[in-house]
Amino acid sequence: MIGGLREILAQATGREELLGLGAEVPLFGTGVGLDSLAGTLLLREVHRRFGVDVADEDLNLDALATLGTLARFIQERSG
Amino acid sequence: MMVKCVIWDLDNTLLSGVYLESGSQLPPPDPVMLGVAAELRDRGIIHAIASRNPPEAAQYAQQATGLEFAAAECGWDRKSDAVRRIIADLAMAPDAVAFVDDDLYERAEVSFRVPEALVLSPEDMADATGWPEFSPAVVTAEARRRGEMYAERRRRQQESRAFAGSRDEFLRYCETKVTIAEATPADVPRLHELSVRTHQFNTAGQAMAEPALRAVIGSPAHRVAVVRLSDRFGDDGMVGACVVETESDRAWTVTLLMMSCRAMGRGVIEALLAWLLRSAAEGGAAALAVPCLVSSRNVPLRLALAGSGFRATEGGSPDQPTALFSRPVSGPLPDLPDWVTGPGAAG
Repeated sequence: MIGGLREILAQATGREELLGLGAEVPLFGTGVGLDSLAGTLLLREVHRRFGVDVADEDLNLDALATLGTLARFIQERSG
Repeated sequence: MMVKCVIWDLDNTLLSGVYLESGSQLPPPDPVMLGVAAELRDRGIIHAIASRNPPEAAQYAQQATGLEFAAAECGWDRKSDAVRRIIADLAMAPDAVAFVDDDLYERAEVSFRVPEALVLSPEDMADATGWPEFSPAVVTAEARRRGEMYAERRRRQQESRAFAGSRDEFLRYCETKVTIAEATPADVPRLHELSVRTHQFNTAGQAMAEPALRAVIGSPAHRVAVVRLSDRFGDDGMVGACVVETESDRAWTVTLLMMSCRAMGRGVIEALLAWLLRSAAEGGAAALAVPCLVSSRNVPLRLALAGSGFRATEGGSPDQPTALFSRPVSGPLPDLPDWVTGPGAAG
Protein backbone atom coordinates (compact mmCIF):
# COMPACT_ATOMS: atom_id res chain seq x y z
CA MET A 1 0.00 0.00 0.00
CA ILE A 2 2.76 2.47 0.91
CA GLY A 3 4.43 1.71 -2.43
CA GLY A 4 1.20 2.55 -4.25
CA LEU A 5 0.81 5.76 -2.26
CA ARG A 6 4.41 6.76 -3.05
CA GLU A 7 3.61 6.32 -6.73
CA ILE A 8 0.47 8.42 -6.43
CA LEU A 9 2.38 11.13 -4.54
CA ALA A 10 5.19 11.17 -7.12
CA GLN A 11 2.68 11.56 -9.92
CA ALA A 12 0.61 14.20 -8.13
CA THR A 13 3.69 16.33 -7.45
CA GLY A 14 5.57 15.50 -10.66
CA ARG A 15 8.58 14.59 -8.51
CA GLU A 16 10.06 11.16 -9.09
CA GLU A 17 12.37 11.39 -6.10
CA LEU A 18 9.32 11.03 -3.83
CA LEU A 19 9.11 7.38 -4.90
CA GLY A 20 11.67 6.85 -2.13
CA LEU A 21 9.87 8.90 0.54
CA GLY A 22 9.85 7.50 4.08
CA ALA A 23 6.49 6.58 5.58
CA GLU A 24 6.90 8.95 8.54
CA VAL A 25 7.98 12.12 6.66
CA PRO A 26 5.47 14.98 7.11
CA LEU A 27 3.71 15.63 3.81
CA PHE A 28 2.96 19.25 4.67
CA GLY A 29 6.52 19.92 5.81
CA THR A 30 9.07 21.84 3.76
CA GLY A 31 10.62 18.69 2.27
CA VAL A 32 7.54 17.47 0.47
CA GLY A 33 5.54 20.72 0.69
CA LEU A 34 2.27 19.14 -0.42
CA ASP A 35 0.23 22.05 -1.73
CA SER A 36 -3.44 22.36 -2.59
CA LEU A 37 -2.99 21.33 -6.23
CA ALA A 38 -0.83 18.25 -5.65
CA GLY A 39 -2.91 17.39 -2.59
CA THR A 40 -6.14 17.42 -4.54
CA LEU A 41 -4.70 15.27 -7.33
CA LEU A 42 -3.44 12.85 -4.67
CA LEU A 43 -6.83 12.63 -2.92
CA ARG A 44 -8.65 12.07 -6.18
CA GLU A 45 -6.30 9.28 -7.21
CA VAL A 46 -6.63 7.67 -3.75
CA HIS A 47 -10.40 7.82 -4.14
CA ARG A 48 -10.18 6.35 -7.63
CA ARG A 49 -7.79 3.56 -6.71
CA PHE A 50 -8.89 2.61 -3.18
CA GLY A 51 -12.48 3.84 -3.09
CA VAL A 52 -11.87 5.98 -0.01
CA ASP A 53 -12.90 9.68 -0.06
CA VAL A 54 -10.52 11.11 2.50
CA ALA A 55 -11.70 14.71 2.12
CA ASP A 56 -15.28 13.70 2.80
CA GLU A 57 -14.47 11.82 5.99
CA ASP A 58 -11.64 13.79 7.50
CA LEU A 59 -12.34 17.49 8.03
CA ASN A 60 -8.86 18.31 9.26
CA LEU A 61 -7.13 16.07 6.74
CA ASP A 62 -5.11 14.52 9.57
CA ALA A 63 -4.90 11.41 7.40
CA LEU A 64 -2.49 13.36 5.20
CA ALA A 65 0.08 13.88 7.97
CA THR A 66 2.36 11.20 6.46
CA LEU A 67 2.17 8.35 3.96
CA GLY A 68 1.93 6.06 7.00
CA THR A 69 -1.14 7.81 8.43
CA LEU A 70 -2.74 7.86 4.99
CA ALA A 71 -2.13 4.12 4.49
CA ARG A 72 -3.65 3.33 7.89
CA PHE A 73 -6.66 5.58 7.18
CA ILE A 74 -7.32 3.81 3.88
CA GLN A 75 -6.81 0.34 5.34
CA GLU A 76 -9.27 1.04 8.15
CA ARG A 77 -11.92 2.02 5.63
CA SER A 78 -11.54 -0.37 2.76
CA GLY A 79 -12.71 -3.90 2.16
CA MET B 1 2.60 26.27 -32.37
CA MET B 2 -0.46 25.56 -34.45
CA VAL B 3 -3.13 23.36 -32.97
CA LYS B 4 -4.04 20.55 -35.35
CA CYS B 5 -6.27 18.50 -33.05
CA VAL B 6 -8.66 19.34 -30.23
CA ILE B 7 -9.35 16.61 -27.68
CA TRP B 8 -12.67 17.11 -25.92
CA ASP B 9 -13.99 15.93 -22.61
CA LEU B 10 -17.73 15.22 -22.89
CA ASP B 11 -19.53 15.74 -19.56
CA ASN B 12 -20.15 19.44 -18.94
CA THR B 13 -17.73 20.30 -21.72
CA LEU B 14 -18.83 19.30 -25.20
CA LEU B 15 -22.14 18.12 -23.77
CA SER B 16 -24.38 20.26 -21.55
CA GLY B 17 -24.71 17.79 -18.74
CA VAL B 18 -23.46 14.42 -17.59
CA TYR B 19 -24.01 11.50 -19.96
CA LEU B 20 -24.54 8.82 -17.33
CA GLU B 21 -26.69 11.00 -15.08
CA SER B 22 -29.14 12.09 -17.72
CA GLY B 23 -31.32 8.97 -17.89
CA SER B 24 -33.42 8.89 -21.02
CA GLN B 25 -32.86 12.57 -21.78
CA LEU B 26 -29.31 12.51 -23.09
CA PRO B 27 -27.52 15.84 -22.71
CA PRO B 28 -27.49 18.01 -25.82
CA PRO B 29 -24.23 19.46 -27.15
CA ASP B 30 -23.18 22.69 -25.52
CA PRO B 31 -24.09 25.25 -28.18
CA VAL B 32 -21.04 27.44 -27.61
CA MET B 33 -18.58 24.52 -27.74
CA LEU B 34 -20.37 23.09 -30.76
CA GLY B 35 -20.05 26.41 -32.57
CA VAL B 36 -16.34 26.57 -31.75
CA ALA B 37 -15.77 22.96 -32.81
CA ALA B 38 -17.58 23.45 -36.12
CA GLU B 39 -15.60 26.62 -36.87
CA LEU B 40 -12.31 24.86 -36.11
CA ARG B 41 -13.32 21.88 -38.25
CA ASP B 42 -13.89 24.31 -41.11
CA ARG B 43 -10.29 25.47 -40.65
CA GLY B 44 -9.03 21.92 -41.02
CA ILE B 45 -8.52 21.17 -37.32
CA ILE B 46 -9.55 17.64 -36.32
CA HIS B 47 -11.40 16.55 -33.18
CA ALA B 48 -11.10 13.66 -30.72
CA ILE B 49 -12.83 12.59 -27.51
CA ALA B 50 -11.32 11.69 -24.13
CA SER B 51 -14.07 10.88 -21.70
CA ARG B 52 -14.70 8.88 -18.54
CA ASN B 53 -17.73 7.23 -19.98
CA PRO B 54 -18.68 4.01 -21.73
CA PRO B 55 -17.87 3.87 -25.48
CA GLU B 56 -21.51 4.58 -26.38
CA ALA B 57 -21.02 8.13 -25.11
CA ALA B 58 -18.60 8.86 -27.96
CA GLN B 59 -21.04 7.46 -30.52
CA TYR B 60 -23.77 9.60 -29.01
CA ALA B 61 -21.55 12.69 -29.12
CA GLN B 62 -20.75 12.08 -32.78
CA GLN B 63 -24.41 11.73 -33.66
CA ALA B 64 -25.58 14.65 -31.50
CA THR B 65 -22.94 17.11 -32.71
CA GLY B 66 -22.71 16.03 -36.34
CA LEU B 67 -18.91 16.25 -35.97
CA GLU B 68 -16.45 13.57 -37.05
CA PHE B 69 -14.11 12.42 -34.30
CA ALA B 70 -10.77 11.06 -35.49
CA ALA B 71 -10.25 9.18 -32.22
CA ALA B 72 -12.17 8.43 -29.05
CA GLU B 73 -10.79 7.16 -25.77
CA CYS B 74 -13.63 6.27 -23.41
CA GLY B 75 -12.96 4.45 -20.17
CA TRP B 76 -12.03 4.98 -16.60
CA ASP B 77 -8.29 5.53 -16.73
CA ARG B 78 -6.49 8.74 -16.00
CA LYS B 79 -7.34 11.45 -18.49
CA SER B 80 -3.67 12.00 -19.30
CA ASP B 81 -3.36 8.36 -20.38
CA ALA B 82 -6.33 8.78 -22.71
CA VAL B 83 -4.80 11.98 -24.14
CA ARG B 84 -1.44 10.30 -24.67
CA ARG B 85 -3.04 7.36 -26.44
CA ILE B 86 -4.88 9.70 -28.79
CA ILE B 87 -1.69 11.63 -29.50
CA ALA B 88 0.06 8.34 -30.35
CA ASP B 89 -2.85 6.96 -32.40
CA LEU B 90 -3.07 10.10 -34.51
CA ALA B 91 0.73 10.44 -34.71
CA MET B 92 0.40 14.04 -33.54
CA ALA B 93 3.12 16.16 -32.00
CA PRO B 94 2.00 16.81 -28.40
CA ASP B 95 2.29 20.57 -28.89
CA ALA B 96 -0.16 20.43 -31.81
CA VAL B 97 -2.89 19.26 -29.46
CA ALA B 98 -5.40 21.20 -27.37
CA PHE B 99 -7.35 19.53 -24.56
CA VAL B 100 -10.64 20.95 -23.26
CA ASP B 101 -12.17 19.89 -19.94
CA ASP B 102 -14.41 21.70 -17.45
CA ASP B 103 -12.76 19.92 -14.53
CA LEU B 104 -9.88 21.84 -13.03
CA TYR B 105 -8.16 18.74 -11.69
CA GLU B 106 -8.37 16.85 -14.96
CA ARG B 107 -6.79 19.91 -16.57
CA ALA B 108 -4.06 19.97 -13.92
CA GLU B 109 -3.41 16.23 -14.26
CA VAL B 110 -3.13 16.44 -18.05
CA SER B 111 -0.97 19.59 -17.85
CA PHE B 112 1.45 17.77 -15.56
CA ARG B 113 1.81 14.70 -17.69
CA VAL B 114 1.46 16.24 -21.14
CA PRO B 115 2.99 19.67 -20.61
CA GLU B 116 3.28 20.43 -24.33
CA ALA B 117 -0.48 20.25 -24.85
CA LEU B 118 -2.59 23.41 -24.74
CA VAL B 119 -4.97 22.73 -21.84
CA LEU B 120 -8.13 24.82 -21.72
CA SER B 121 -11.36 25.19 -19.81
CA PRO B 122 -14.59 25.56 -21.84
CA GLU B 123 -14.56 29.29 -20.98
CA ASP B 124 -11.03 29.59 -22.42
CA MET B 125 -12.07 27.61 -25.48
CA ALA B 126 -15.01 29.91 -26.20
CA ASP B 127 -12.44 32.64 -26.67
CA ALA B 128 -9.81 30.59 -28.44
CA THR B 129 -11.01 30.62 -32.04
CA GLY B 130 -9.38 34.04 -32.38
CA TRP B 131 -5.97 33.01 -31.06
CA PRO B 132 -3.07 32.57 -33.47
CA GLU B 133 -2.72 28.94 -32.27
CA PHE B 134 -6.04 28.12 -33.93
CA SER B 135 -5.18 29.64 -37.33
CA PRO B 136 -7.96 32.19 -37.66
CA ALA B 137 -8.20 34.33 -40.78
CA VAL B 138 -7.61 37.48 -38.73
CA VAL B 139 -5.74 37.79 -35.42
CA THR B 140 -6.57 40.76 -33.19
CA ALA B 141 -4.00 42.14 -30.74
CA GLU B 142 -6.18 41.04 -27.81
CA ALA B 143 -6.50 37.51 -29.19
CA ARG B 144 -2.76 37.35 -29.68
CA ARG B 145 -2.26 38.43 -26.07
CA ARG B 146 -4.70 35.83 -24.76
CA GLY B 147 -3.06 33.10 -26.81
CA GLU B 148 0.31 34.23 -25.51
CA MET B 149 -0.88 33.82 -21.90
CA TYR B 150 -1.52 30.16 -22.58
CA ALA B 151 1.80 29.76 -24.31
CA GLU B 152 3.37 31.19 -21.14
CA ARG B 153 1.55 28.64 -19.03
CA ARG B 154 2.70 25.81 -21.27
CA ARG B 155 6.32 26.94 -21.05
CA ARG B 156 6.09 27.09 -17.27
CA GLN B 157 4.52 23.62 -17.19
CA GLN B 158 7.23 22.16 -19.39
CA GLU B 159 9.96 23.62 -17.22
CA SER B 160 8.20 22.29 -14.14
CA ARG B 161 8.35 18.80 -15.50
CA ALA B 162 12.04 19.04 -16.30
CA PHE B 163 12.89 20.62 -12.96
CA ALA B 164 14.51 18.51 -10.25
CA GLY B 165 13.81 20.04 -6.86
CA SER B 166 11.06 21.06 -4.49
CA ARG B 167 8.09 23.16 -5.49
CA ASP B 168 9.47 26.20 -3.65
CA GLU B 169 12.81 25.82 -5.44
CA PHE B 170 10.91 25.77 -8.74
CA LEU B 171 8.95 28.90 -7.80
CA ARG B 172 12.21 30.69 -7.03
CA TYR B 173 13.73 29.44 -10.29
CA CYS B 174 10.76 30.94 -12.16
CA GLU B 175 11.40 34.32 -10.44
CA THR B 176 7.93 34.16 -8.94
CA LYS B 177 6.69 37.42 -7.43
CA VAL B 178 3.67 37.50 -5.15
CA THR B 179 2.64 41.06 -4.29
CA ILE B 180 0.12 41.66 -1.54
CA ALA B 181 -1.36 45.15 -1.29
CA GLU B 182 -4.19 46.93 0.48
CA ALA B 183 -7.23 47.09 -1.81
CA THR B 184 -8.31 50.44 -3.22
CA PRO B 185 -11.69 51.45 -4.67
CA ALA B 186 -10.17 51.06 -8.14
CA ASP B 187 -9.80 47.32 -7.43
CA VAL B 188 -13.53 46.81 -6.79
CA PRO B 189 -14.64 45.69 -10.29
CA ARG B 190 -11.85 43.13 -10.53
CA LEU B 191 -12.51 41.95 -6.95
CA HIS B 192 -16.17 41.44 -7.75
CA GLU B 193 -15.32 39.51 -10.90
CA LEU B 194 -12.92 37.32 -8.93
CA SER B 195 -15.60 36.59 -6.33
CA VAL B 196 -18.01 35.51 -9.07
CA ARG B 197 -15.51 33.25 -10.83
CA THR B 198 -13.74 31.56 -7.93
CA HIS B 199 -15.64 28.43 -6.93
CA GLN B 200 -12.98 26.07 -5.68
CA PHE B 201 -11.10 28.76 -3.84
CA ASN B 202 -13.76 30.81 -2.17
CA THR B 203 -14.38 30.36 1.54
CA ALA B 204 -17.80 32.00 1.41
CA GLY B 205 -18.87 29.96 -1.62
CA GLN B 206 -20.46 33.01 -3.15
CA ALA B 207 -19.80 36.31 -4.85
CA MET B 208 -19.52 39.68 -3.11
CA ALA B 209 -21.33 42.61 -4.68
CA GLU B 210 -19.51 45.83 -5.53
CA PRO B 211 -21.24 47.99 -2.89
CA ALA B 212 -20.34 45.47 -0.19
CA LEU B 213 -16.73 45.46 -1.39
CA ARG B 214 -16.58 49.25 -1.37
CA ALA B 215 -17.99 49.24 2.16
CA VAL B 216 -15.30 46.92 3.57
CA ILE B 217 -12.51 48.73 1.75
CA GLY B 218 -13.58 51.95 3.44
CA SER B 219 -14.24 50.36 6.82
CA PRO B 220 -11.84 50.90 9.76
CA ALA B 221 -12.91 47.54 11.20
CA HIS B 222 -11.73 45.64 8.11
CA ARG B 223 -8.66 45.07 6.00
CA VAL B 224 -8.97 44.05 2.39
CA ALA B 225 -5.87 42.75 0.65
CA VAL B 226 -5.35 41.89 -3.01
CA VAL B 227 -2.72 39.49 -4.32
CA ARG B 228 -0.91 39.80 -7.64
CA LEU B 229 1.25 37.12 -9.25
CA SER B 230 3.92 37.19 -11.91
CA ASP B 231 7.04 35.29 -12.88
CA ARG B 232 9.49 35.27 -15.77
CA PHE B 233 7.00 33.47 -17.97
CA GLY B 234 4.25 36.04 -17.59
CA ASP B 235 2.13 38.33 -15.46
CA ASP B 236 -1.16 36.95 -14.14
CA GLY B 237 -2.27 40.20 -12.49
CA MET B 238 -4.70 40.00 -9.56
CA VAL B 239 -5.22 36.37 -8.66
CA GLY B 240 -6.59 36.50 -5.13
CA ALA B 241 -7.91 38.59 -2.28
CA CYS B 242 -9.16 38.44 1.27
CA VAL B 243 -11.45 40.44 3.56
CA VAL B 244 -10.55 40.42 7.25
CA GLU B 245 -12.45 41.65 10.29
CA THR B 246 -9.85 43.13 12.59
CA GLU B 247 -11.78 44.46 15.59
CA SER B 248 -11.40 41.58 18.00
CA ASP B 249 -8.10 40.86 19.79
CA ARG B 250 -9.19 37.30 20.36
CA ALA B 251 -9.08 36.56 16.67
CA TRP B 252 -9.04 38.31 13.34
CA THR B 253 -11.67 36.69 11.14
CA VAL B 254 -11.18 36.22 7.42
CA THR B 255 -14.73 36.65 6.13
CA LEU B 256 -13.70 36.01 2.53
CA LEU B 257 -10.64 34.34 1.08
CA MET B 258 -10.54 33.71 -2.64
CA MET B 259 -8.06 32.78 -5.32
CA SER B 260 -8.20 32.18 -9.04
CA CYS B 261 -7.63 28.57 -10.02
CA ARG B 262 -4.98 29.60 -12.53
CA ALA B 263 -2.79 30.52 -9.55
CA MET B 264 -3.01 27.01 -8.14
CA GLY B 265 0.20 25.22 -7.40
CA ARG B 266 2.24 28.44 -7.36
CA GLY B 267 2.42 29.12 -3.64
CA VAL B 268 -0.06 31.99 -3.63
CA ILE B 269 -2.55 30.82 -1.05
CA GLU B 270 0.23 29.68 1.27
CA ALA B 271 1.87 33.12 0.90
CA LEU B 272 -1.40 34.91 1.66
CA LEU B 273 -2.04 32.76 4.76
CA ALA B 274 1.52 33.31 6.00
CA TRP B 275 1.20 37.06 5.49
CA LEU B 276 -2.23 37.12 7.19
CA LEU B 277 -0.88 35.29 10.24
CA ARG B 278 1.96 37.79 10.56
CA SER B 279 -0.39 40.76 10.11
CA ALA B 280 -2.70 39.38 12.76
CA ALA B 281 0.23 38.92 15.14
CA GLU B 282 1.41 42.49 14.51
CA GLY B 283 -2.14 43.74 14.97
CA GLY B 284 -2.31 42.19 18.43
CA ALA B 285 -4.72 39.35 17.66
CA ALA B 286 -4.23 36.01 19.37
CA ALA B 287 -5.44 33.92 16.47
CA LEU B 288 -6.61 33.97 12.86
CA ALA B 289 -10.00 32.41 12.09
CA VAL B 290 -11.18 31.38 8.63
CA PRO B 291 -14.80 30.26 8.44
CA CYS B 292 -15.18 28.09 5.41
CA LEU B 293 -18.08 26.45 3.64
CA VAL B 294 -17.33 22.71 3.54
CA SER B 295 -17.99 21.21 0.16
CA SER B 296 -16.25 18.89 -2.24
CA ARG B 297 -15.56 21.97 -4.34
CA ASN B 298 -13.20 23.65 -1.96
CA VAL B 299 -11.04 20.74 -0.88
CA PRO B 300 -7.98 22.65 -2.20
CA LEU B 301 -8.67 25.45 0.29
CA ARG B 302 -8.88 22.96 3.13
CA LEU B 303 -5.56 21.51 2.01
CA ALA B 304 -3.92 24.92 2.05
CA LEU B 305 -5.37 25.65 5.50
CA ALA B 306 -4.30 22.27 6.91
CA GLY B 307 -0.85 22.74 5.39
CA SER B 308 -0.53 26.11 7.11
CA GLY B 309 -1.37 24.72 10.53
CA PHE B 310 -5.05 25.59 10.81
CA ARG B 311 -7.39 23.26 12.71
CA ALA B 312 -11.10 22.99 12.00
CA THR B 313 -14.17 22.63 14.13
CA GLU B 314 -17.49 21.79 12.52
CA GLY B 315 -20.52 24.01 12.45
CA GLY B 316 -23.36 25.26 10.31
CA SER B 317 -26.27 23.00 9.37
CA PRO B 318 -26.51 19.76 7.39
CA ASP B 319 -27.60 21.82 4.36
CA GLN B 320 -24.81 24.34 4.70
CA PRO B 321 -21.99 22.67 6.60
CA THR B 322 -19.34 25.12 7.57
CA ALA B 323 -16.09 24.67 9.38
CA LEU B 324 -14.20 27.21 11.42
CA PHE B 325 -10.51 26.90 10.72
CA SER B 326 -8.36 28.64 13.21
CA ARG B 327 -4.73 28.98 14.17
CA PRO B 328 -3.06 30.77 17.03
CA VAL B 329 -0.45 33.31 15.91
CA SER B 330 1.99 32.48 18.68
CA GLY B 331 4.92 30.19 18.04
CA PRO B 332 6.66 29.59 14.71
CA LEU B 333 4.63 30.77 11.75
CA PRO B 334 4.72 29.30 8.21
CA ASP B 335 7.55 30.62 6.05
CA LEU B 336 7.03 33.79 4.11
CA PRO B 337 9.36 33.38 1.11
CA ASP B 338 11.36 36.44 0.09
CA TRP B 339 9.54 36.61 -3.26
CA VAL B 340 6.41 37.65 -1.37
CA THR B 341 6.03 41.35 -0.59
CA GLY B 342 3.25 42.93 1.41
CA PRO B 343 2.46 45.96 3.56
CA GLY B 344 3.44 45.90 7.21
CA ALA B 345 4.44 42.36 8.06
CA ALA B 346 8.00 41.55 7.04
CA GLY B 347 9.09 37.97 6.25
